[in-house]
Amino acid sequence: MHLTDEERRILDGAFGEPQRIALSVLAKLGDAYGADRMVEIASAHIVGSSYQIAGEAGIEIYGQLVEQGARVRVRTTCDPGSIDFARWRTFKTPENYAERQIKIEELLRRMGVIPTWTCTPYTTFNVPRFGEDLGWSESSAVVFANSVIGARTNRLAAYVDVCAALVGRVPRFGLHLPECRRGEVLFELAPDLSDSFEDHFFPVLGYFVGQRTGDRIPVIAGIRHATFDQLKAFGAAAAASGSVALYHMVGVTPEARTVEQAFGGRPPAERIAIGRREIIVTIEQMSTDKGGAVDIVGLGCPHASIDQMQRYAALLQGRRVHTGTELWICANTVVEDMARKMGYVDTIEKAGAKLMVGTCHNDCPLGAWNFRRLVTDSGKFAYYTPTTVGTECVFTSTEACIEAALTGQVIRS
Amino acid sequence: MSSSHERIQAKGCAPGDFEGEAVVSNQPFGFWQGIDPLTGIVIDKRHDLCGTSLKGKAFIFPYGRGSTGTPGIFLEAVRNKCAPAAIVNVTSEPMIVMCALLAEAFFKVQIPIVDGLKGNPLDLLRTGDRVRVNGTTGAIEVISRV
Repeated sequence: MHLTDEERRILDGAFGEPQRIALSVLAKLGDAYGADRMVEIASAHIVGSSYQIAGEAGIEIYGQLVEQGARVRVRTTCDPGSIDFARWRTFKTPENYAERQIKIEELLRRMGVIPTWTCTPYTTFNVPRFGEDLGWSESSAVVFANSVIGARTNRLAAYVDVCAALVGRVPRFGLHLPECRRGEVLFELAPDLSDSFEDHFFPVLGYFVGQRTGDRIPVIAGIRHATFDQLKAFGAAAAASGSVALYHMVGVTPEARTVEQAFGGRPPAERIAIGRREIIVTIEQMSTDKGGAVDIVGLGCPHASIDQMQRYAALLQGRRVHTGTELWICANTVVEDMARKMGYVDTIEKAGAKLMVGTCHNDCPLGAWNFRRLVTDSGKFAYYTPTTVGTECVFTSTEACIEAALTGQVIRS
Repeated sequence: MSSSHERIQAKGCAPGDFEGEAVVSNQPFGFWQGIDPLTGIVIDKRHDLCGTSLKGKAFIFPYGRGSTGTPGIFLEAVRNKCAPAAIVNVTSEPMIVMCALLAEAFFKVQIPIVDGLKGNPLDLLRTGDRVRVNGTTGAIEVISRV
């Protein structure tokens, strides 16, 4: 691939060892995927911030980079860690585990990473603009940035995202190229489904689309209106069940004012019809059993917005979580701060629920809890929970999740 | 003599040269939640290789299922000297190629990656076959079959 004079000097080591290593990784990646050149990025978002993902290898890599004087060159935020830094004892995290996460926190801070500890950096200090090139990982954030905002990023991997942050560049291929952002598969909602599309259908639709679209770019037609949180839930589910990095929703997302625009003038390679039946079948697939006693209810995957915090508080106002059932709401520290000022946190905690900040159920070691059944309103959580948390999992609406927490029981409808 | 060996030509994706035993599957594989990085043993209960060690083997499977956290687990295995020594896929997933590039950059370990294998891997090779994988030329030589 073509490299600028500055990039060649980086590879010669003129800007230090961390930048040399970083650019060499990115140049080889670009060569493997046919990139013509590097592109400068507006920001990076890194996923190898949790000890669960980075492990001892990550501590060694970050330690080496810090020792060599590494500093990020663009605005860089980080994904959740493996502990709630303020309350890890509340969540029964082993002390030696927490210490390793705190070590990662120190190393990332020394490289200049903004400690957002969130999968929703776009609700904090990393808000991309339409058309901007980014170097992001975290599948749910990548799909949000590409689809809802119209920024451009491939799904980078742990450490490759750090390389991008250290040199402020990524190789230009894939979703950085307009011709690679055109829709390929058309998902059409039946009119009666369009007419009565419920809030909790969004993660279900995402889960279905992810399963059926494979590595192709899906276009969804028939959604009349979608909120920020509904798009977040849809994308996170699609990215989990099918590695979707970009979708177009006709009349909703910015690169899809019409079906024609979404497909860039080409005909769809495949058309898939979605009716109530597909939604019902998918809801069944998203649960591992029919329900029963509930140990843990997980909300805030991806991390809850301030609107969702308001909704949870309203549902929990004056009520009490069932004894023997845990209700954990995951959010980032910025939303936590606002929710506290608005009185939502007070209401949530008075009901006996716990706020889990800067991490989530899937990133934390939960061995000490012996959970057997988890209930969630998240498609991403439903996809990963059986392996990461190792429990039975029941997917249902946000309201039914809160009800399950209050009664200690869930019966799948 | 290498020229006498049966040869499968595919595409080189990450450099390196490995000769050793193959572990073959016709199922896609995700390293994240798929491998124990302390032993190299497959832990994904839904996978047909569950319980098999990938340590020091040429791992041959259709394609990777990639969480963006994949290199976290993969490099932990590299650090513990328990990672596969070569990977051959039908279609390459960028996550796998990134793992190999990072292993070389941060742990000075070359793991040749080859993709473009035609058809079901189990029709071409069997677990226990001895192979040589070149990540630059994309050549897979079958040294001996089980």
